[in-house]
Amino acid sequence: MKAVVFEGVGSVAVREIPDARIEEPADALIRVSVAGICGSDLHFLHGKAPMSPGETIGHEAVGVVEAVGPEVEAFAPGDRIVVAFNIACGECWFCRQGQTQLCEDFRNLGAGAFGGSLGGAQAELLRVPTADVNLLRVPDGVEDEVALFAGDVFTTGVFATATCGVAAGRSVGVIGVGPVGNAIVQSALLRGASPVIAFDREADRLALAEGAGATAVDVSERHPQMVAAEHTSDRGLDVVFEAVGAPPALETALDVVRRGGTVGVVGIYAGEEVPLPLGVLWSRAIDLRFTGICPIHAWWEETMEGLRSGALDPRPLVSHRLPLQEAPRGYALFEAHEATKVLLCP
Amino acid sequence: MAVFPTEEWFAEFVVQINASEEYRDAARTWEGDVSLVFEAEPDKGVPEDVWGWLDLWHGECRFGRFVSADEGAKARFVVRAPYSRWKDIIRGKLDPVKGIMQGKLKLRGDLPAILRHVRAAQELVRLSGAVETQFVDEAGG
Repeated sequence: MKAVVFEGVGSVAVREIPDARIEEPADALIRVSVAGICGSDLHFLHGKAPMSPGETIGHEAVGVVEAVGPEVEAFAPGDRIVVAFNIACGECWFCRQGQTQLCEDFRNLGAGAFGGSLGGAQAELLRVPTADVNLLRVPDGVEDEVALFAGDVFTTGVFATATCGVAAGRSVGVIGVGPVGNAIVQSALLRGASPVIAFDREADRLALAEGAGATAVDVSERHPQMVAAEHTSDRGLDVVFEAVGAPPALETALDVVRRGGTVGVVGIYAGEEVPLPLGVLWSRAIDLRFTGICPIHAWWEETMEGLRSGALDPRPLVSHRLPLQEAPRGYALFEAHEATKVLLCP
Repeated sequence: MAVFPTEEWFAEFVVQINASEEYRDAARTWEGDVSLVFEAEPDKGVPEDVWGWLDLWHGECRFGRFVSADEGAKARFVVRAPYSRWKDIIRGKLDPVKGIMQGKLKLRGDLPAILRHVRAAQELVRLSGAVETQFVDEAGG
């Protein structure tokens, strides 16, 4: 089968590799129809997260069940499904609490040794362990490329807003409105937050956030803290999401949140360390919350319903649809900020 | 009249500091240089961060000038805020110590040392207000 292979920092290629297959009785084999390139794939590409040459990459996929192992009960060949990017056992104490991202046997598709050396989703075929837990059926009428967003990006947005207490009438800021930031914007608006302010410096991302209903702020033109002050009688915003994964974005989040407010850190961090003014944060009673990896399984049904009803709409984010063979070009476009969301079609 | 934030304004501020008996008394135990960062607000006519450095020692400002960010970052204390917040401080509308505790200003350095010298900080604020000031976003064309 063809799959996208990590060749070294800065390089991916499409290679012919041995077919994925059923390895465990609870596995399903998926024929992938659409796979996404995610911002976190770039962390591997850039070497921020470790991956070895030859390993396959990608964790967002929609497809059709090709085969199942004898222990799979909920799915059968021919079912149209979306996969969870984080693979959980579904049985441990954390999974039973709905915290599947903290699963004792946590694995992650297409994330090298860190993810348990599972195959990547940017491939023609994909093996999904514990299929009854890690697959979600796609309802009729929901397009593949819409359903894809329930497996990662939009469920991350739904989870983040729920976890950080976004509710009707609360003011929300989102630092960085790439796909995940946009999903947070849409989810916050769906929960009745107002205003929802999108901070970024990229015009196309700001336009998409504005199109979704946010107030768009170009931080290269306006100081985020003063914008937040204008909208909140100088208090600052109730809930602020850092959706970049970079210390300056965290600093901005702390800059625009009100006293007693919540900062949700959604962006991915690896080895970064930052000095924090603990005394000031303590006296401001800031709730600094690391959302961590999204426990997809606990939130993807709510997300899928939002996608089905149209209340959540990822379609404007999709800037490129490319054949799998053109994955390296897709990565280059995404890396150069010339694409918002690249979909690969095997 | 000096336009804030310019070097001319900053030089006038240093003159005010060194002419003040009240500051000399309030800050007689203060030791340490301070960088003040007037953060960019392009829509207000401040396109880039501006760093002003004060060498404050026992009630005297031994030296004060604009510096690069790299140079300013070496100061014992760095206080930074958006340009508009500094406007409020100069106009006496925002207490800087309260501002730090509320997150409107950011301090890098030993917060208790600042809190032990609140009167000196307040005097510096009063002296900034004593500079005959025109704000860059309010200056006529």
